[in-house]
Amino acid sequence: MQGFTPNTDFSELHSTMRAIELASNSIQMQISPAASEAIILSLGQSSQPYKTCQFILENSLVATARFQAAAAIREAAIREWGFLNADDKRSLISFCLCYAMQHASSPDSYVQAKVSSVAAQLMKRGWLEVVAAEKETLFYQVNQAILGIHGVDVQFAGIKFLESLVSEFSPSTSSAMGLPREFHEQCRRSLERDYMKTFYQWTQEAASSVTNRIIESDSVVPEVKVCTAALDLMLQILNWDFRSNTSDTKINVFSAGVGQDGDSFRRPECHLVQPGSDWRDVLILSGHVGWLLSLYAALRPKFTYEGYWLDCPIAVSARKLIVQFCSLTGTVFLSDDGKMHERHLLQLLSGILEWVDPPDAVSKAIENGKSDSEMIDGCRAILAIANVTTPCVFDNLLKSMRAIGTLTFLSMWMSEVIKVLITRNTEDGTWSWEARDILLDTWTALLMPINTITVNDLLPSEGIKAAANLFGFIVECELRMASASAFNDEGDSDYLRASISAMDERLSSYALIARASIDVTIPLLTHVFSERVTRLNQGRGIIDLTETMEELYSLMLIIGHVIADEGEGEMPLVPNAIQTQFVVNSVEADKHPVILLSSTIIKFAEQCLNPEMRDSVFSPRLMESIIWFLARWSSTYLMSSDGIGEKILDSGHHYEHSSKKVLLSFFGEHNQGRVILDIIVRISLITLTSYPGEKDLQGLTCYMLLHSLVQQRHICVQLVALNSWHELANAFSTEKTLFLLDISHQRSLAQTLVRSASGVRNSEESSQYVRNLMGHIATYIVEMSSKSNLKNVAQQPDILLSVSCMLERLRGAASASEPRTQKAIYELGFSVMNPILVLLEVYKHESAVVYLLLKFVVDWVDGQITYLEAQETAAVVNFCMRLLQLYSSHNIGKISLSLSSSLLSEAQTDKYKDLRALLQLLSSLCSKDMIDFSSDSIEAQGTNISQVVYFGLHIVTPLISMDLLKYPKLCHDYFSLLSHLLEVYPETFAQLNSEAFNHILGTLDFGLHHQDVDVVSKCLRALQALASYHYKETGNGNIGLGAHAMGLKDSSGEVQEGLLSRFLRSLLQLLFFEDYSSDLISVAADALLPLILCEKGLYQVNDSS
Amino acid sequence: MSDEEHHFESKADAGASKTYPQQAGTIRKNGYIVIKNRPRKVVEVSTSKTGKHGHAKCHFVAIDIFTSKKLEDIVPSSHNCDVPHVNRTDYQLIDISEDGFVSLLTENGNTKDDLKLPTDDNLLTQIKEGFAEGKDLVVSVMSSMGEEQINALKDIGPKN
Repeated sequence: MQGFTPNTDFSELHSTMRAIELASNSIQMQISPAASEAIILSLGQSSQPYKTCQFILENSLVATARFQAAAAIREAAIREWGFLNADDKRSLISFCLCYAMQHASSPDSYVQAKVSSVAAQLMKRGWLEVVAAEKETLFYQVNQAILGIHGVDVQFAGIKFLESLVSEFSPSTSSAMGLPREFHEQCRRSLERDYMKTFYQWTQEAASSVTNRIIESDSVVPEVKVCTAALDLMLQILNWDFRSNTSDTKINVFSAGVGQDGDSFRRPECHLVQPGSDWRDVLILSGHVGWLLSLYAALRPKFTYEGYWLDCPIAVSARKLIVQFCSLTGTVFLSDDGKMHERHLLQLLSGILEWVDPPDAVSKAIENGKSDSEMIDGCRAILAIANVTTPCVFDNLLKSMRAIGTLTFLSMWMSEVIKVLITRNTEDGTWSWEARDILLDTWTALLMPINTITVNDLLPSEGIKAAANLFGFIVECELRMASASAFNDEGDSDYLRASISAMDERLSSYALIARASIDVTIPLLTHVFSERVTRLNQGRGIIDLTETMEELYSLMLIIGHVIADEGEGEMPLVPNAIQTQFVVNSVEADKHPVILLSSTIIKFAEQCLNPEMRDSVFSPRLMESIIWFLARWSSTYLMSSDGIGEKILDSGHHYEHSSKKVLLSFFGEHNQGRVILDIIVRISLITLTSYPGEKDLQGLTCYMLLHSLVQQRHICVQLVALNSWHELANAFSTEKTLFLLDISHQRSLAQTLVRSASGVRNSEESSQYVRNLMGHIATYIVEMSSKSNLKNVAQQPDILLSVSCMLERLRGAASASEPRTQKAIYELGFSVMNPILVLLEVYKHESAVVYLLLKFVVDWVDGQITYLEAQETAAVVNFCMRLLQLYSSHNIGKISLSLSSSLLSEAQTDKYKDLRALLQLLSSLCSKDMIDFSSDSIEAQGTNISQVVYFGLHIVTPLISMDLLKYPKLCHDYFSLLSHLLEVYPETFAQLNSEAFNHILGTLDFGLHHQDVDVVSKCLRALQALASYHYKETGNGNIGLGAHAMGLKDSSGEVQEGLLSRFLRSLLQLLFFEDYSSDLISVAADALLPLILCEKGLYQVNDSS
Repeated sequence: MSDEEHHFESKADAGASKTYPQQAGTIRKNGYIVIKNRPRKVVEVSTSKTGKHGHAKCHFVAIDIFTSKKLEDIVPSSHNCDVPHVNRTDYQLIDISEDGFVSLLTENGNTKDDLKLPTDDNLLTQIKEGFAEGKDLVVSVMSSMGEEQINALKDIGPKN
């Protein structure tokens, strides 16, 4: 072989081998691993080490040394591939291949596997340059091996080689070769088009050739290994991401076969196998599936024998392949109305049934110690089938064999699984959990399309019945689990939100099942719910009701999911099944099952208004579920603004949604809506006043229920007309108990109440409403700040608490600012401007209060700034500057210390939050120049926003230490503001005094070398803006950045470089010599151009040097 | 947890007038609380329920503001806790005596000489060095339940 070091003689080869052997051994024994590693690495890195490596492979007795030699061949060959001549390449590949085959029966099979994978990688490397004939020769050898001519071991090695070849060619598992993605893609396409099917056929033949031996023998024979490998390879090939049938042959897989309907609605994670029509003969017509099923059927009786068991490799592989075949779909089947596909699925199903039927017997066997793998794989198979069929096709499959449909069977099967789940009451992770989840997914896959598109007859009537039965059983079991767990005290994690989000997926699947048979399930739920309520009423004061309460809690969650969807920020519609499945005439609206159910629950909830009932029945947890339900229910049904929802819906479907109309009009503004709204408000008031210290409950009331009510104006109109709403507003202003709410809840409540002002008739009255609501709070702050002994009393805990409450309420009101109430809220804030400064002085050591003060100002300014007239703007800007200066004077140069490191880090965090608020304040001020609704220009009052903000930044910047910039959010805010300023107001920047100017330059420099790409690109954008500004201005004969751009002499007489040349230098330095993200290239280039244009001279000098 | 423990009236000692009763549910992180008769700063609050259908209770983790000892307490949220009155006053530093006491200038022009230098090394060196360099230093003194300690320092510029 020319090219290999010609003068290598035997002794040299031998000594290298010894060295590698030694190194390999010492690595294993962990003796000086670094040195040994270096020796081994040097082999792969040396030039053309092939002969040495081959020598080692053939002669070394140390397996790890052989392994390292194979790795070295791979490394060197991939690196030197371009220099090797065709013969070398060919001989390397065939050496590896032959080696793997010849040593197939040797021990240390990992060496053979490695060599075989090296062969596969080299083959792929040369794939596009080698002519077909050459590949044929190589593959001929492989084929011979796979056919079993050279014995079982070589057959196994051949299959394994194909396995590594296929995995090399699959993009997700390929090894890196330092080549463009295009190369990998071409290889993938070529293999898929020309070889994949052939490989599959060879494997098939190999597997069939050993099948008889396996079936006939009662003990494990060597052929089992071959068969397992063949099954694995088939699975791997079927897992291939087939694309040729979709793009190249231009066959739309979605239009072929009945099984495709509604695929687009299915969840994306379900994996479909779509090899295309070319594969029909191999996969379908050849009786391949029949062979596979009979192989597995023949294996099953052997599981009691020595060497076989339910989870032995061949059984696992066979089951996996069977499950994979269930996902087969697309043009591989004839487009004969899905007949061929159905036959295929039926054949599979009949095999799979053996594993799981009858479910009760199988589950009993598993509980008695049998492995659960067949059960779980059976669940997976049925899920796969559900993913490729419509509910009708799915249901019909079983009917040809049994008296019942598949849906009925699925329902029985799942009931059995749930039964085991609750009787054993086991922990997460057991088989019944897993089986339950997979089967629930199966239902979801079947029912999801029906839920989203309006088709009435998609589900066969028996299937509806099956779903109804299953749902009934699910409810029964959930209730049983609820009552069993009523006394479990699982501690703090078990509050409503956590438990809902954990259960959410399950509950949504339950809801789908319930909606499939909605006309049965709704009355069922009504019945079960009323029964529990009766039990509560009868047992009250006599027996312990905890179990019933927990059952109601759980029912509330289930019902909420069944009858309403989560809006996710949008307005949820009435679920499709409820819209279409009920035929009701509008006269008998109160007999509509959903109305009955809703009314029952609301009536029950209303009982909490009675103090006696409240104490004995309505526990905080039960109330949480009630509030959650009311929030979810009301956003779908309560005074749903029919107009919008109907239009969207009717545009698509021309159904007479009588059911929906009846529902919405019943709960509409002119019917029961007002009464129910009143009840909801009263219940909310109760949770806020009569459940002291129940933060979670009150949080739900404030954030979920009340907050969502005031989002729609027409509901606000109703709200402000209700006495109960005024009671709530009064309680908010005067009631002591509401001051005991969590202060952030008070803020939310203030926001909600102020927002409801949008329902007041005109803007005059809404302003009055806001004044009534908030006026006394402002008065309190004003009076407090003018107290002569303020300094003494301010730090008393009671004063501290009430000041905090008031500030949070003010902030809530400020954040609810709308055009209508803007004036009133401006006055509110204006009246407390000075008091705020007084309080900031008094509470300078009380970081919590300082933060509240700042946040109020931030929210107030943010809500107001765009509306303010010139004079008001001047007042606000002036106030903000005083605030900044005062804050700065308290904090600059301050060193707080504490013995406790956690208190210290808290103090640091407080500072960070303060500064972030201040930066937000400056950003809000900045926005005045962008959006302004006022009638006159603010310049009239001599307010220059850019100067103000630069000044503000000048005050804030010294407070921002390097440590604080480690908080990513603060860092981002800071650099966003800075780059915004430099981009928009370069002229103001040019006028800054040199101290402020240099500080900003320093910051920019710091930002350029920051780790965060975002920060760097912000700085680059700022630089670009500065340089472009300077270039344009000087082009027009102006001074631009003037003296700053030139060099300056500092106080000590040394010449300081001008800023542009300084940044040109540091940017070039960054680009040429430092590591930076490729995302920055474009921004960096944008910044570089104007810099070069400004500093041509410097650039050229640097260039030439 | 019995109710008596959280009744403010039952604390008849000298510290009583320096604490205020406040509902446990309203005490937030970074607020103050009295646990085992010491003023502490709350660093962690979590709520849980006494049994599934029981009432909420607050779990506090708090740090002694003077000694930095950490302590935990569980109180039903609707019950009252004692909250200490924590005061902080700024004084100008006039002198540091040999025996480790500082002399501070009060607002009404008197001096306050009963405070020791802080034990914290960092703060101590800052005070000593700053004072030696002739800087104008303002120390802030935290006091609560009859105890006092210097806890912060501010440099308001060189002495004239």
